[in-house]
Amino acid sequence: MSSLFVPDSAVRDEGGITDADLCAQFAAHAAHAKRRERKGQWHLLFILLFVLGPLVIYPLARLVMLSVTGTHGFTLHAYTAFFGNTQTRGMIGTTLGILFASASIASLLGVAIASMLFFRPFAGARLLTRFLELFVAFPSFLVAFTLIFLYGSQGSVSIGLQRLFSLDATPLDFLFGIGGVILAEVVFYAPFVVRPTLASYATLDMRLVEAARSLGAGGWMVATKVVLPLAWPGIAAGTILCFLLTLNEFGILLVLGSAHLITLPIAIYSAATVDLDLPTAAAGSVVMLLMSLSLYALYRRVNRRAGVR
Amino acid sequence: MQLSGSSRFTPGACLRLAITGFVALLCFWLFVLPVVVVALSSVASHWSGTILPDGVSTRWFARLSSSDLDALSTSLEVGVGVAFIGTALGLWLALALEGRDRRGLGALVDAVAMMGSGVPSVVLGLAVLIAYHKRPLDLSGSAAIVVLVQLALVLPFCYRCAAAALRPELTILREAAASLGAPPRMVLVRVVLPQLVPAIRASLALGFALSLGELGATLTVYPPGFATVPIVVVGQVNRGYYLPASALSLILLAVSLAALLLIAARAPRR
Repeated sequence: MSSLFVPDSAVRDEGGITDADLCAQFAAHAAHAKRRERKGQWHLLFILLFVLGPLVIYPLARLVMLSVTGTHGFTLHAYTAFFGNTQTRGMIGTTLGILFASASIASLLGVAIASMLFFRPFAGARLLTRFLELFVAFPSFLVAFTLIFLYGSQGSVSIGLQRLFSLDATPLDFLFGIGGVILAEVVFYAPFVVRPTLASYATLDMRLVEAARSLGAGGWMVATKVVLPLAWPGIAAGTILCFLLTLNEFGILLVLGSAHLITLPIAIYSAATVDLDLPTAAAGSVVMLLMSLSLYALYRRVNRRAGVR
Repeated sequence: MQLSGSSRFTPGACLRLAITGFVALLCFWLFVLPVVVVALSSVASHWSGTILPDGVSTRWFARLSSSDLDALSTSLEVGVGVAFIGTALGLWLALALEGRDRRGLGALVDAVAMMGSGVPSVVLGLAVLIAYHKRPLDLSGSAAIVVLVQLALVLPFCYRCAAAALRPELTILREAAASLGAPPRMVLVRVVLPQLVPAIRASLALGFALSLGELGATLTVYPPGFATVPIVVVGQVNRGYYLPASALSLILLAVSLAALLLIAARAPRR
């Protein structure tokens, strides 16, 4: 840097800068920039090998290796053991069913709530937005846990309904199963759609909306013809993120679904810690890893196009 | 936006009001009620088969056993460690990747650094367990393995916090300082870090809160004697001890909320 800044007095003493001097300075500057670029590359390589290597790359490589090695070298035995089990036959179907049901309901609900908060704010909307931002700190298993107090067979809502209609038995008995898991995942992951959607709305040019209104467009037309096409990339990114997080969810499944519902994460967990069969668990993990990483790659693509970080 | 219709009670305005009210109620029901329920149940003397708890008592807090308190201190120690290391690593990554084109090595490092947010926590926990449970590097008897696995999960969030704060204006400031002859170390300490203080605070708070609530990966790797609060709470819930579990989770929630409010006045919008 300092080579570019020759003190004025020195220049005057020599009676001006010649072309040769300038060329030399440019060459020196280019060489300096190139050196810095190469140094930056080495810096990145160092981080990749010594920080991210032990944290992420090495464990995942060991996981994949363990799933395909047996006592006599390469084998796919662990995969057949994991998926050939009659108990786990419908597991991937169940997992995907829960994923699609809860993530699509959560996305619709999240977009609806975000639209309401942005376009028709009511008293306390700001407070609710702040609250949804803090929801990150709320662990997912706690959501499942609180639902037991509300909708469990002895929960407030069940007892309230029983008293209201004077029934003999409690009317709600869905919590420890697929219904309860979907409810908990919708409650927990809808806020994750609200935030990117609100951020996407915040970049909208409101003059476009007002222009459409003044030209006589109704609320529905404004929403479908103006707002949605403009905010779509951000909403899509939020929705894919919601699918990714729902697929990776574990706490809710452990609290509400571990008894009756066999899903992929629960099967991996019990193979690893209950049966102590690490190769079989690794085989299930590799399949789940492939599903998650393809969704993750999709998310990165869409997010880059949306330009929202 | 509502120039007309809000003052008169037309059917349309009434409908709109009803929809707004419904959404407000739904939001309260879905998102605020769970927090209220944890708070209520932890001070309930008895809550089963009734709409509201029977009475108020603090006995669940008084009865926290020594293993509960051990879990609490393990959680706090791991959380502080993960928050500080994660923030330092995230900052380092963001500074190293700043201003690089998103191709080649830079893109690879970025993708691998963000991978922790896309991998299921159980899978990552299992991978770390497989890699570090026997020689050459055996961490399975210490809290280091818990810190390691949580670091991998928290790092993407800390990295994002720091990267979001490295705005173009900051690059101009750095170049101005460098062109005036400040050496790189001075630029970092006197120009860049002071500008990043809000992001560092947000990153610390986020790392701490995420570490406190992490369940899947920790449950897969934790060595005996290093159970964290979420593990103890889930164990109690699965055995049906609901009220002690909510006392412990209320403490957990209060600690992470206090950290978020104290350290980070406001998290950067992502």
